[in-house]
Amino acid sequence: MTETEGLIAGLLLLFALVVYTFWPENAFASQKEKTRLDFLLERKEQLYENLRDLNFEHRAGKYPEEDFQTQRALLEKETADLLAEIDRLQQA
Amino acid sequence: MAALGSFALLIALALAAYNLLAGTIALRLIATGTPARISPERLADTARRAGIAGFYAVTAAAFALVWSAFANDFSITYIVEHSNRALPAPYKFAALWSGQEGSLLLWAWLLGTYGFVLRLRHKTDVKLYAYAGTILAGIQVFFLLILNFAAPPFALLKGTIPDDGNGLNPLLQYPEMVIHPPMLYLGYVGFSVPFAFALGALMMRYPGEKWIHITRAWTMATWLFLTCGIFLGMRWAYAVLGWGGYWGWDPVENASFMPWLTGTAFLHSVMMQERRGMMKSWNVWLIFSTFLLTMLGTLLTRAGLVSSVHAFAQSSIGTWFYVFMGIVLAICIFTYIYQRGHLKTEHHLESLVSRESSFLFNNLVLLTACFVILWGTLFPILSEYVQGTKVTVGAPFYNRVAIPIGLFLLFLTGVGPLLPWRATSFKSIRRNFVLPVIALWATVIVCLAVGVRPWVNGAFSSGNFYALVAFAVGVAVFVAVLSEFLRGAHVIARQTGRNLLSATWLLTRRNTRRYGGYIVHIGVVVVVLGLAGSAFNRNVESEMGVHDAMHIGPYTLECTGFTQDSNANYDSEYAILNVTKGGKTLFQMTPEKRAYHLGGGDQPQTMVAIHSVPMWDLYVVYEGMNPDTGQPIIKAFLNPLVGWIWAGLVIMVLGTLIALAPSLSPATAALRVPVARQVAPEVALKGGD
Repeated sequence: MTETEGLIAGLLLLFALVVYTFWPENAFASQKEKTRLDFLLERKEQLYENLRDLNFEHRAGKYPEEDFQTQRALLEKETADLLAEIDRLQQA
Repeated sequence: MAALGSFALLIALALAAYNLLAGTIALRLIATGTPARISPERLADTARRAGIAGFYAVTAAAFALVWSAFANDFSITYIVEHSNRALPAPYKFAALWSGQEGSLLLWAWLLGTYGFVLRLRHKTDVKLYAYAGTILAGIQVFFLLILNFAAPPFALLKGTIPDDGNGLNPLLQYPEMVIHPPMLYLGYVGFSVPFAFALGALMMRYPGEKWIHITRAWTMATWLFLTCGIFLGMRWAYAVLGWGGYWGWDPVENASFMPWLTGTAFLHSVMMQERRGMMKSWNVWLIFSTFLLTMLGTLLTRAGLVSSVHAFAQSSIGTWFYVFMGIVLAICIFTYIYQRGHLKTEHHLESLVSRESSFLFNNLVLLTACFVILWGTLFPILSEYVQGTKVTVGAPFYNRVAIPIGLFLLFLTGVGPLLPWRATSFKSIRRNFVLPVIALWATVIVCLAVGVRPWVNGAFSSGNFYALVAFAVGVAVFVAVLSEFLRGAHVIARQTGRNLLSATWLLTRRNTRRYGGYIVHIGVVVVVLGLAGSAFNRNVESEMGVHDAMHIGPYTLECTGFTQDSNANYDSEYAILNVTKGGKTLFQMTPEKRAYHLGGGDQPQTMVAIHSVPMWDLYVVYEGMNPDTGQPIIKAFLNPLVGWIWAGLVIMVLGTLIALAPSLSPATAALRVPVARQVAPEVALKGGD
């Protein structure tokens, strides 16, 4: 490829990429602001997963009964608080 | 092609600069809600498209360079310096990263590729991706500025165009070298993505930890690439440098190892943030440090800052890197100080004996190792600055510190999975640790019985002691991980009536991340056992004429002849050795010495002959002729368990791939959550502000 051919190829590339970048597009993606409620709903999924893990590990014999009950009560309280706040925000 | 390549790089720079500028303005307008003539969302979208277009432009430039190598276009200085007509095709491709300009182009192309994929997936979270894309554009601007103005790969040769090039560095003409640098660079460059997400999430005060979930696959894939890159480099050093080892604590080896250490720490501690909203500041700084260490690694490899067998370039681009790293650090510090209120922890460490604390210890140990290696790597520069003389830190310094640290890490690899989250009782510890502790002491007894003892001829041997500890802890960790699999599989077997094997498979598929991670831990154990084998390396060296023999371990090597060969690329000279064991001929080995016609023909290169079995490697080097006697010199090594290192890598790759696969949807949770109570706002959960 000669220098002139290279420059022509470069100009064609420039033209194509500029057209691609600035092509009028009305359907560009946008999203609503993430709220605290969205965060809490995500957190709820994580807490459910933590509870599932705890139950599974208990069934697998990793936790003695008293440890399991303590941990489960703590997680359930955390989940209950979270669900309460979700409920409050959804009603507001 | 030079004109097209140079033009494409200029276009790529303009597009990356537009991406950075328009993206920053758009995000600022969105954040402040300032009214503008153009919709900020539209402006952000043009910035995103500029990022995608930039990928095409950098691809065109990379293509132009590779094409020039294949077309033997010796009007380009880079092609003259790194290729020649007789160079085999795969190595012509490798010319792209064999020199400084080409490797920087590879960096830019890989960053463009990562950015391309990221920008195509922007609908996952438009705003977060816009922040990450803009930060990546900033990094891309830096590399494209260097490529356009400081280290242009398409610079034309002044004067007469030669008929042939100087050829590729012979040390690089090795199959692993075709994939080792791209793997390493995929790892280096890949850490830009979690870095960009972390910085972006902090800048926009991203509510929650979903950004970690989004970047999880990126981080794991990047870690996998870096791991493979490091191991391929070890394999290359083992097979090409001919000293019988695979890791010499060379500054460039260290440079790749440091981000691996901090990246591994990040992969672990980020789980605490996901599950419990802890360690937020720590994680942010871990990923910031990892990115800066990848930059340092690139600087060490490319700018000739330190002497190394792996540093294939000497140049003055160091100043560019110092300035860039300074700017990045300043932005990180400023953003952290400005937004640190967003990083308040939601929970505190409840017990020193818990999964969280094991992650914390793991992180502290990994960071200590990283600091020690950084200190040793930069010590020659610091000592020259302070004392005026360059003092190099050798392998004994690193081994003295890194081996105990590594063994403690191995210990934590087994302990972590056995500890429950939050807190644990003595009863729980006793229940979970019985089997591994029995396995540990049983291994110690077996090792002592078979002769693996911490003393040699009555004197204490630290190498043997560490090997004994590594074997014992390694087996204990293996048992700990295995017991985790078996416990879970038993539950599933009881629930579903499946056999244990099928239940283990279902268990793994239900939680790929956890059990994939455990498989990686098994891979680490196998690697450590392989490394521990080096305490028992043996070697012999001797001049060998035809029909002479040498003995090493159970093998006898008999020389049956020496021969020479020649092709367009190099002349070679090799010995033919028949290997026998107990009088029975097993196989033939042909260690070789090559003299390349171009690219360093004055320094013959070693091609080691390696015969690998699970127990050890028989590793034979043809060291050339003794100038005094005219006799060929053969050096043979018997390196125990080296094959386990590469097998461990395969297990680690498999585990990471499993961890990357999506888990099966969770079974219905047996939740027993009390009826939601009305709580006052002040006692609401922290985080997500």
